[in-house]
Amino acid sequence: MFFGITSFLLILSLNLVLTFERFLRNQPEQKRNFTIENLRAYVRWIVSWKKSFLKLECWDKSLDYVIAWGRKNFKGWTVWVFYALGLSYIYLALSGFLFAWFIPRGLFGFPLLLHVAAGALFAVSLTFILFLKGRDYFLEENLASSQGESQRLFYCPGVGKSFPKIYLQIASFWCFILAGFFLIASTLGSMLPYFNYPAQIFFFNVHRWSALVSVLAACLAVDVIIVE
Amino acid sequence: MAKKEKSIARKISGKKILSLGALIFSVAVFLFVTLEISRLLEARSSGKKVQEIKLKVEQKNTWSHSQISPLHRIPLMDEFNQKIIPAVPNTLPFSSRNTCGPCHDYDQISHGTHFNLKNRAASDRRTEPFVLFDEKAGLQLPISFQGYPGLWSPEELGLNSWQFLNLFGRNLPGGGLGEPTEKDITPDSRWNVSGKLEINCLGCHNKSYLQDHSEWAKQIMRQNFRWAATAASGLGEVPGMASRLHSTWSVIDGPNPDDHEWAVVPEVRYDQNLFDSKNNAVLNLGQPEDRNCLACHTVTARKAASRAEVEQDVHSAAGLRCVDCHRNDLSHEMIRGYEGQKLAHSNLKAEDYTCAGCHLGQNPEKGGFGFTGKLGAPRPAHKGIPKIHFERLSCTVCHSGLLPKKELQEVYTSRSNRLGIFGKADWTSEYPVIVEPVYVREKDGKIYPERMMWPAFWAEKKGQELIPLQVEEVLKAAPEVFNLKENVSAKLSALGPLAEEGFYPAVVISDFLFEPNADASLNAKRLDQSPLSGRSGEKKFLLVQIKGEKTMPLLPVFNPDEAPPEVEDKILNSLQALKALSNGQEPVFIVGKYVYKITEGYISKEEKPGEPAAEPGIFWLVDGKFEPWLSEYEIRTLAALGDSPEILTEEQVKMVLKKMAEIRPGHQVVYVASGLVFSLNKNGQLETSKHPAAEPIYWPLAHNVRPVQEALGKNGCTDCHSPGSNIFFGQVKAVSPLKSERREEKLGADFMGTGQLFQFLFGLTFLVRPYFKLLLAACVLLLGLVITLVLIKITGQITKLNSRDSDRRIGEK
Repeated sequence: MFFGITSFLLILSLNLVLTFERFLRNQPEQKRNFTIENLRAYVRWIVSWKKSFLKLECWDKSLDYVIAWGRKNFKGWTVWVFYALGLSYIYLALSGFLFAWFIPRGLFGFPLLLHVAAGALFAVSLTFILFLKGRDYFLEENLASSQGESQRLFYCPGVGKSFPKIYLQIASFWCFILAGFFLIASTLGSMLPYFNYPAQIFFFNVHRWSALVSVLAACLAVDVIIVE
Repeated sequence: MAKKEKSIARKISGKKILSLGALIFSVAVFLFVTLEISRLLEARSSGKKVQEIKLKVEQKNTWSHSQISPLHRIPLMDEFNQKIIPAVPNTLPFSSRNTCGPCHDYDQISHGTHFNLKNRAASDRRTEPFVLFDEKAGLQLPISFQGYPGLWSPEELGLNSWQFLNLFGRNLPGGGLGEPTEKDITPDSRWNVSGKLEINCLGCHNKSYLQDHSEWAKQIMRQNFRWAATAASGLGEVPGMASRLHSTWSVIDGPNPDDHEWAVVPEVRYDQNLFDSKNNAVLNLGQPEDRNCLACHTVTARKAASRAEVEQDVHSAAGLRCVDCHRNDLSHEMIRGYEGQKLAHSNLKAEDYTCAGCHLGQNPEKGGFGFTGKLGAPRPAHKGIPKIHFERLSCTVCHSGLLPKKELQEVYTSRSNRLGIFGKADWTSEYPVIVEPVYVREKDGKIYPERMMWPAFWAEKKGQELIPLQVEEVLKAAPEVFNLKENVSAKLSALGPLAEEGFYPAVVISDFLFEPNADASLNAKRLDQSPLSGRSGEKKFLLVQIKGEKTMPLLPVFNPDEAPPEVEDKILNSLQALKALSNGQEPVFIVGKYVYKITEGYISKEEKPGEPAAEPGIFWLVDGKFEPWLSEYEIRTLAALGDSPEILTEEQVKMVLKKMAEIRPGHQVVYVASGLVFSLNKNGQLETSKHPAAEPIYWPLAHNVRPVQEALGKNGCTDCHSPGSNIFFGQVKAVSPLKSERREEKLGADFMGTGQLFQFLFGLTFLVRPYFKLLLAACVLLLGLVITLVLIKITGQITKLNSRDSDRRIGEK
């Protein structure tokens, strides 16, 4: 119950913050304030934006965008690793959280079977992605060059200031990797015949909380890395 | 004058008053004595307690805090609360109400689990039902007072307390049903003869080696209810049978001096060695020993050929007794050991004595604390078992019962198959057939290992409802069907005079040898090589005589022209015995061209019409034709049943249903067996349909508990999760008294509600599970390595920044 409510609120809050920031960024500099008017305008904007997803065309466009982003950022066959990661991760997150939120019994049956299979794909593709992209989000020179190339800023509504976006990109990337590591490690741990019942409970909790961190990191990454 | 008259009047008046007073006193004394005597007599005949002579003993409702059980050197009291003097002839049996009751609150105890069968509430966990079984009619009907689904209540089957006790009293410890109320006294009951079946305290608490469950069962069978506890305890011997006494007999009538052979009144011959000089019985009583529990609670795999093959429950092997876990206080409400048991009368905490209560110790719901459970019970690590197993499975799934195999395994239980009753007769019955382990998802969403049986009964179909028929009615409708084996056995016995000394007759049909048994039925034995196998198809049976392993032809071969007189005598005796069995048919013995038959009580020999017989044979002469000694129907049915445990064939069922249709026109009678309902269609053929009443019934099992080394999962996940898993894909075939190919078949997964396809696919994943783990391990290793390098790099950068800062500060200074 606690996990369900907490995870739901955190994911919702982060997405509200990110979309609100995106809304404010489109406003003139002087209007980037946390006001009732802005909030109303934001609600209108987000509703119309959500409505647009009722049309298949919007999904098509989004998919095209992601595919194009993948091709742009991953060379050759490596783009398939990105697609595999994306697909497996979407299924894992949806199946995991929807069952955690709405089914008291938790994940079971065929969705669980697919969850396990998708988990394997996720583990492999995440490892590949780390080796393919890890340097982009760590080395100082790359950091400096990317900062130099584009002065993309991230406006933080609470603080009222803009920060270089690359910081959030690095943070989201490494959070995603770290959470992924714990997700895979806890899965492996629960399957190995070395850990007793309390350890099983520990692994289960590690798995679900790192899944939450992973989803939060993924949401942030989508906003700051993928979506322009 | 007036004064004189007055004084006379006074004198007369005084005398009158005196006389009147004396008269009143005499009448009062007479009335008092009469009433008192009649009250005593009434109490004696009705068994009511007489307050005046009740022993004044302090009831022990509280524990003395001593951990030992005292030696019980106590007076035995009979049902009239009179002290038993063992040397006195015709002494009554002891009454536990009057013997034990003064110290231990009998009424409180009578609410206990074992004595409150009729009135106790249904619990979340079903128990083994009582099974009404009839070996001839193919009946196995599960009964329960608690109204569990699929079980029939005794009321529905027309069973009153008296009948129930006669059927199942052998496995009841008295009390409850055994102490009838006014309602239970029905015209067919014989409580006044049998007496009450009071709680048999000694049945559980007696530690004497003389305590004998077999004796209890026999006394119940004889309707010696009031004597049963005394006889079973070994305190005395009880000859006589209440069942043979006239229904008007009462205990105050005493023994019958005119009958010492048949209707012998039960009496107790106390063993005086078990009493002290003050006529107090010396009893070794205490907490029940396992053997007393197992008398009624044994479950044994049928495949076990000897006791040496049977493994003990791991707890028993470790030295625990049944009552160490299945505890009770004075209320005698038993702790059954399952999670969530609610106790209504007991002050004990049921959760302390569950599997988790002992093995996980304190706070079992949190995984427990410490290294061991209660009294050093091994604390399970359950390494590598995902927690879903502890949420969805009971402990017993992995740890109790027989290990699952491709097919369910048949077991005997004390209660259903009459185990543990020893004597000349073989009490163990093959039916009902109970199987285990089937894994069933219960209402709480957890899976439990359970025992299962398929009901079989004759019923009338009213709308969608099936109403079981009284077995007597069905047996009466088609005696030739149900008494087939008895009839053949009687025919064989009639041929006894033809057998050599020490030999007895038997018949070979198909590949089986059928011989009469002690129950006037037939035993079948499969032959390695049947003597009929090399013969032409016309010869369908062969009469033989057997002695141990020796077998030889039964019918004598001799020259009929010079027939030895002793042979003719044998033939005469056999023909006479056969004639006594026949319904107007005439038995004949044919040898060569002659026919032997009985004429006016003597053997006569006539020429056989037609060709001479190739072999001697026995036939029935019907309308001038020779009919075979066994009918086609008898041969066909016996050949079909062979040595299999089934009782009926489809043909027999069809015959019975036709008979019932004639007897009950306009009513549809069906036979429920093998998970199906067998009925006659318009063409008179058997057809099957499904019905909820034909579904199997099951109840959770908990014993025997297997050691960890034999627990499911000890060899890894594939013990259960594999495409060929016995748990999920084991065959569950209906077993019933009917020999038929038509039967309900299911897979184990059907009872768990998990879906066969899912379990198959899930099982398949375990084939690649080791590679999956390797893959994950490689990913974790690589990810961990990179993350570690990153952390080192970050640490290095922070350190570098710090050193730059300090260099700058030094420079500034």
